[in-house]
Amino acid sequence: MAKSQITLLSDLTPPSLERTWLTSPHPTLPIVATCSSDKTVRVYSLTNFKLLSTISGGHKRSVRTAAWKPHVTGESVLATGSFDATVGIWRRWDNYGKNESNAAEVEESEAASDEEDEEWRFAVLLDGHDSEVKSVSWSPSGMLLATCARDKSIWIWEDLDDGDNNFETVAVMQEHSGDVKCVSWHPTEECLASGGYDDTIRLWREDLDDWGQVACIKGHSGTVWFLDWEGPENTPRTSAEQDTSSLTSAWRSQRSLSGPRLLSCSDDLSIRVWRRLPKEFSQMGMSSSAATGIPSIIRPTGADENWEEDAVLPHAHELAIYAVAWSRRSGLVASVGADGRIVLYEERFVTATDSEAMETEPPMLKTEWSIIAVVDGAHGIYEINHAAWAKRADRGAVDEAEEQEVLVTTADDGSVKVWTVQR
Amino acid sequence: MTEVQNLNPTILNVADLPTRNRPSKKYSDYESGIFAAVPNPADFLSSDSEDDDLLEEPIDEQEIYDLIKLISDPEHPLSLGELAVVSLPDIFIKPTLPNVPGSPLQTVTVLITPTITHCSLATVIGLGVRVRLEQSLPPRFRVDVRIKEGTHSTGDEVNKQLGDKERVAAALENGALMQVIAKMMETCQ
Repeated sequence: MAKSQITLLSDLTPPSLERTWLTSPHPTLPIVATCSSDKTVRVYSLTNFKLLSTISGGHKRSVRTAAWKPHVTGESVLATGSFDATVGIWRRWDNYGKNESNAAEVEESEAASDEEDEEWRFAVLLDGHDSEVKSVSWSPSGMLLATCARDKSIWIWEDLDDGDNNFETVAVMQEHSGDVKCVSWHPTEECLASGGYDDTIRLWREDLDDWGQVACIKGHSGTVWFLDWEGPENTPRTSAEQDTSSLTSAWRSQRSLSGPRLLSCSDDLSIRVWRRLPKEFSQMGMSSSAATGIPSIIRPTGADENWEEDAVLPHAHELAIYAVAWSRRSGLVASVGADGRIVLYEERFVTATDSEAMETEPPMLKTEWSIIAVVDGAHGIYEINHAAWAKRADRGAVDEAEEQEVLVTTADDGSVKVWTVQR
Repeated sequence: MTEVQNLNPTILNVADLPTRNRPSKKYSDYESGIFAAVPNPADFLSSDSEDDDLLEEPIDEQEIYDLIKLISDPEHPLSLGELAVVSLPDIFIKPTLPNVPGSPLQTVTVLITPTITHCSLATVIGLGVRVRLEQSLPPRFRVDVRIKEGTHSTGDEVNKQLGDKERVAAALENGALMQVIAKMMETCQ
């Protein structure tokens, strides 16, 4: 049944000697940042899979999470979140790899500053959370940084970009009734999703200068460990006998009303896909204040959103699922967890056979998720804490015209592995 | 911890606790009962063939019990074994992935019976057991420590905390909490 194959391309070396929690791929450069319990962040190359630098000295406890700020030119900016309750912002001029090609030039022109250009500059420490920071996420524009912690709060910070590393607290949201485990921004809009120990997923938007909850999704029966969004251009796969262009255009027009879907994984061993109901449907349905329980006098009813379950992915994990990753390139979903397994899922259009589906206008498009590959013991006996898709950058990828991708997985023994997928 | 919560806990005699070599009275029925004629499988396993030294000795429930029975209760000068907070019949070892042939992963489940149903130290005791097992067992074991059903007023809440990998990891970096745990472990050899 599983025709696709996941093949190990390389380990990132040398690995951390302690547990690694998460690996964040850079938005444009072929590098990743790995967060470790040894209080450091390691930056590795996806070109040769070697360690480039180690960011240390900023955090007093485990580094749990990290995220690269998007749309920065000439410089890389990394946010890190730690069990020490702080969020660090780090900066480094973009010259990885450049030194190799024109080392002589660099030495001549920048001999004096060369040494410090190699280093990560500690920019600022964002202080506010009362306990362990679990997740950080930059908004699509890079203007806003969301952070969350065991203190049940989500903070939104605005990067003032004033050259002086000033961040301003924009909002503190405290609706979650337990640890907030993850935050993730919508790929194009300023809409934040969060999940946590209270088993809920919540969505947040700014309305008249005030950030507030616009939806609370109660669908999981265990801690929500991780969230990821569908890529804005994603379409399910078509089979040979299906009319690709008509299905795709029908899909796009339906999608333009509801926007990208949200993916969640949980301690309840399930992975679910959530879809926003288009506004006209949701207002016809229940009154919007019923959805969030907040009286409409406090929040304008127009802000509330109705989210419904779109799909439950096939069951494939025997222990807690710690991370899911929805590829923006291929649309594939990868999941990992405490059982040490990597599972890949694919969404396909299902040809509507029953007349009912054909009669509705426009025709309701049906899709189906299936497991296309499984790797048991992907990191030996160790639990896998995170998975992320990245652009392939090693020499093996050069011949292909089409952009290739790799899956990066991060485990309890400190190992980070890079995998290729053959579909 | 200034106020002792259970002033008069039931205490088991150390001599009665189950051990490998000298089964307690509770289990000695096997020896005089219908299984008396069946040779103990352990007799075959402990044959002195040299190859045996190379194989990893399988870890059984008794060994798990031995690892945790001497942990001290945080409020009594007694061990978890003596207080019957942990007991041999409430320890289970099962393959984690029964459908994956040859998978080395095994799940150790330890059910904890707090001495009183509203014991606020249940989480600390559970954490102590989990930490002790994670530090002693090879990493192929998945440790599952939970409150025995019906023995604690907020059992589900405690179980959720004990099962949360991230919270347990953070607790290990909490100096004050680890001092309490270290004190509980002092009585383990």
